[in-house]
Amino acid sequence: MAAEERILEDQELTDRLKDPAQSRAAFTEVIARYSRPLYWQIRRMVQSHEDADDLLQNTFMKAWSSLDSFRGDAKLGTWLYKIAINESLTFLEKERKRLNISIDDEARPLIEAIESDPFTDGDEIKKKLREAIATLPEKQRLVFNMRYYDEIKYEDMSRVLGTSVGALKASYHLAIKKIEQYFEETD
Amino acid sequence: MKDKKEYSPILEKVDHSDGMTVPPGYFADFAARMEAQIPERTVVAAPIVRTPWQRIRPYVYLAAMFAGIWCMMKMFDLMRPDSASPAPILAEALSDDNFMSDYYLDNSYDDEFLDNLYEAGYSPSELCESN
Repeated sequence: MAAEERILEDQELTDRLKDPAQSRAAFTEVIARYSRPLYWQIRRMVQSHEDADDLLQNTFMKAWSSLDSFRGDAKLGTWLYKIAINESLTFLEKERKRLNISIDDEARPLIEAIESDPFTDGDEIKKKLREAIATLPEKQRLVFNMRYYDEIKYEDMSRVLGTSVGALKASYHLAIKKIEQYFEETD
Repeated sequence: MKDKKEYSPILEKVDHSDGMTVPPGYFADFAARMEAQIPERTVVAAPIVRTPWQRIRPYVYLAAMFAGIWCMMKMFDLMRPDSASPAPILAEALSDDNFMSDYYLDNSYDDEFLDNLYEAGYSPSELCESN
């Protein structure tokens, strides 16, 4: 779908979401359109399919319940990404506290989840890349996932994450270096 | 467009795929599940914002009503004749014997006197001539 076409459709959806008579039908379309990209964004952060599924549901439920606060100033996608990312980060924080894990060791449960993940294509190098990404700090992981897998523009990432484009580029570059280092160390 | 800093031989091997999968039919099933879960939106009526004047208006009206009643009672009180305090001039006149004889009793006495003269045979013209 062309970017302009998508923006127009999002605008039309946003208008319908504001209309109480059409909001439910419009939100169903929002789910159909955004469940895939949001799922992958969440899944790459939490690794487990079950957790990603729960968080995706929470994301849409939160979006639905706070529809009144969405005035349409931001793009619909930006708003949903923000909710999904907040949900993911809150979940990881809760898990760290629940499992009593220090911030330096936060990669451990994620790597364990990758190791035991039944929903993969079995490609070892991809699995190793996931593990390498899991060792990155949360924000860097987000930046890397959005840039590398989703190929989101830095300008759009800046709107979602509230970070300058320069800082995002630096973060991504640093993430690549750390991943390469991880590969070197584990080879 | 990617710059040189974004190039990595390891990442090139992976080709932007994370290798993660989902159970078959997951997204179609997810949309249906979500649709069933979404509660009906309750349209919350906007809270009624009352201005300070609207808040104090009933009390102002009540106070104005009592003030009106008080003014009305005061007016009726002022209009009522006060028997307890007689007009001082009238009281002084009534206590004066001369006033009674000169201005009050005199008239009745003159009338009676003229009646007696008339009955005695004097005519009014005679009385006028004698004056």
